[in-house]
Amino acid sequence: MFITDIRKEFYDVVVNQRVALLVSLDIDALCACKILQALFHCDQVQYTLVPVTGWQDLGTAFLEHKEQFRYFVLINCGANVDLLETLQPEEDSIFFICDTHRPVDVVNVYNDTQVKLMIKQDDDLGVPSYDDIFRDEEEESGDSGNESDGDPEPSGKRRRYEEGAVERRIERQRAKREWEARRREILFDYEQYEYHGTSAAMMIFELAWVLTKDTKDMLWWAVIGLTDQWVHDKITHMKYVTDIATLQRHVSRHNHRNEDEENSLSIDCMRISFEYDLRLALYQHWSLYESICNSSYSSCHFKLWSMHGQKKLQEFLADMGLPLKQVKQKFNSMDMSIKENLREVIEESSNKYGMKDIRIQTFGVHFGFNNRFLASDVVHAAAALLENTEKDESPGDNFIKALDCLSRSNLERLHGGIALAKKKLMAIQQTVASCICTNLILSQGPFLYCYLLEGTPDVKLFSKPMALTLLCKYLLKAFVCSTRNKRCKLLPLIMAAPMDVEKGTVLVLGIPPESDTSDKKNFFGRAFEKAAESTSSRTLHDHFDTSSK
Amino acid sequence: MFCEKAIELIRELHRMSDGQLPAFNEDGIRQVLEEMKALYEQNQSDVNEAKSEGKSELIPTIKFRHCCLLRNQRCIAAYLYDRLLRIRALRWEYGSVLPTNIRFHMCAEELQMTFFFFLSSIVGMRKTRHNHRTLKPPKSLYIEVRCLKDYGEFEIDDGTIILLKKNSQHFLPRWKCEQLIRQGVLEHIVS
Repeated sequence: MFITDIRKEFYDVVVNQRVALLVSLDIDALCACKILQALFHCDQVQYTLVPVTGWQDLGTAFLEHKEQFRYFVLINCGANVDLLETLQPEEDSIFFICDTHRPVDVVNVYNDTQVKLMIKQDDDLGVPSYDDIFRDEEEESGDSGNESDGDPEPSGKRRRYEEGAVERRIERQRAKREWEARRREILFDYEQYEYHGTSAAMMIFELAWVLTKDTKDMLWWAVIGLTDQWVHDKITHMKYVTDIATLQRHVSRHNHRNEDEENSLSIDCMRISFEYDLRLALYQHWSLYESICNSSYSSCHFKLWSMHGQKKLQEFLADMGLPLKQVKQKFNSMDMSIKENLREVIEESSNKYGMKDIRIQTFGVHFGFNNRFLASDVVHAAAALLENTEKDESPGDNFIKALDCLSRSNLERLHGGIALAKKKLMAIQQTVASCICTNLILSQGPFLYCYLLEGTPDVKLFSKPMALTLLCKYLLKAFVCSTRNKRCKLLPLIMAAPMDVEKGTVLVLGIPPESDTSDKKNFFGRAFEKAAESTSSRTLHDHFDTSSK
Repeated sequence: MFCEKAIELIRELHRMSDGQLPAFNEDGIRQVLEEMKALYEQNQSDVNEAKSEGKSELIPTIKFRHCCLLRNQRCIAAYLYDRLLRIRALRWEYGSVLPTNIRFHMCAEELQMTFFFFLSSIVGMRKTRHNHRTLKPPKSLYIEVRCLKDYGEFEIDDGTIILLKKNSQHFLPRWKCEQLIRQGVLEHIVS
């Protein structure tokens, strides 16, 4: 069931209890977890935090902890599958789910006792009404009971009664078949597309705000959670802008709190500011040139994998009057005169070259003299740390590192993450360039298909779902820009990459077709399940995001 | 140059941060004492010479050697006193039994001194009855800890059992965790 008053129905219930937090491995979940941890520290709620990578992990973690805990909080996992059936919990276990995966499973919605969803009911859900899906079985048994009681009556009346009963029974069965057909149709429509709802970090921040225990740190984490959804293309642009407006109100409220003439804040305090900044990944921590080459937006518009594209980029830089030498050195060392109006200059020139949305609304933070970060920088860094394949560490270790980098006191971790993110973006760019140039994308009828061979450089990076998703989206955009085939531009893309070379497993991912007005709904979850059945291949539908297997 | 050996002793102590005790540098002390003896004897002969033959040019040399002697004395005194303070601090931390590697680093007299500390601390503790480990009250009742290795089940005061698995984080009462933190099973997280 949906929780209406998050304070009374969730927080006041768990504040005197011990809670198990099961957190999925994505940045939005990490941010929500940090905010919730901060709230729990305030109120001294004892908790245990366990990272979970997929359904199997969730099941194992639940089995291990079900003896000791009664209350479970699931962050970004568990809403889109019938939870009670998967986990088989005891009667007194209660689950609080804060998940962005939609559609929410109907059993989870209509369970009144054990499953509580921390999701707003108006979050464009479209849940079918109760009567359309569940039917009380009492009328059935009532009539059949009447028939068996018909023995002591005289035979004449009984025959007439029986005829009437038979007609009624046929009528009922027909109605039941119709109802079941309609139910299947409704459920099919409801569950066929998968998409994402409001960020979990924003939901938990709202809880903190209602409790008036919100701080700037929590607000910054909420911003990072939302930006993660945008960077990994999980929500539409409209929704992103709406949510930014919501957060902007909170930011103004925090900023006007204690800054005035006499009490200006020390330079070490954290300041969050609204920025209408460039869509170039990590450009303030890299050189401008590298950033333009490795961001999907600019790279696809210029088609930087071709010679023609490289020339166009040089023209673009010349048009803006930026000397190559300046642009290729670290951003912090560029001349101040260039940095001053950089955003406006770039926007003007980009409009000429067809990049209308080079600037995007976002937030930045700065504390201390040296430390300025945009929200997308932190998202890239944390994602790179979370899916780090350089050392052979378990997902749990990477989770801890990524969780640490979100605190302000662990700046070296964050800088390490930024370095890893740069490598990841460069690897993505090179893989995309090689795939386009060697025509590795094949058109298989209703969809496009690409398979990364084992010998491809950096293929180990793409054995993780988030990195593979980024690669997939980038590749599709690049393909759409470079192909002349009009039909191919509207096709979805399926990508496969080797996951574990020893076991011979492959990670398969599907994304919907590229379009400006895409509603980001992904139908591959059901499609993969059906394909697995019909080809009887061994598949593990383990990820919480059903579009990757 | 004179006094260099003495400065080296001081530097050795300075290099080790507070709380650590390097080995007692018997050789170093002996060399400094020998240097002092040599200086003193030279001074003695020079003084006699100056008095008897009236050579007043020797007086600056005598003064210089005297300053070196005083400096050596100060350095040795500082060295021994600093070691004393460190040993006393270690005694407070470790309680009655000092680990063997520290005992190796002490000379015989220092060991005797620790025994005296032990006796006086017993008297002191009986008088004041306070736990010498936590002189400042902790900031919070609960701390956040991270599990570094698989430990298994762990029971806390109200009877509830927590499963300590690698990479899980918990928010637990401070006093229960201290033992495990010392053993290296849990790590305290300060955010």
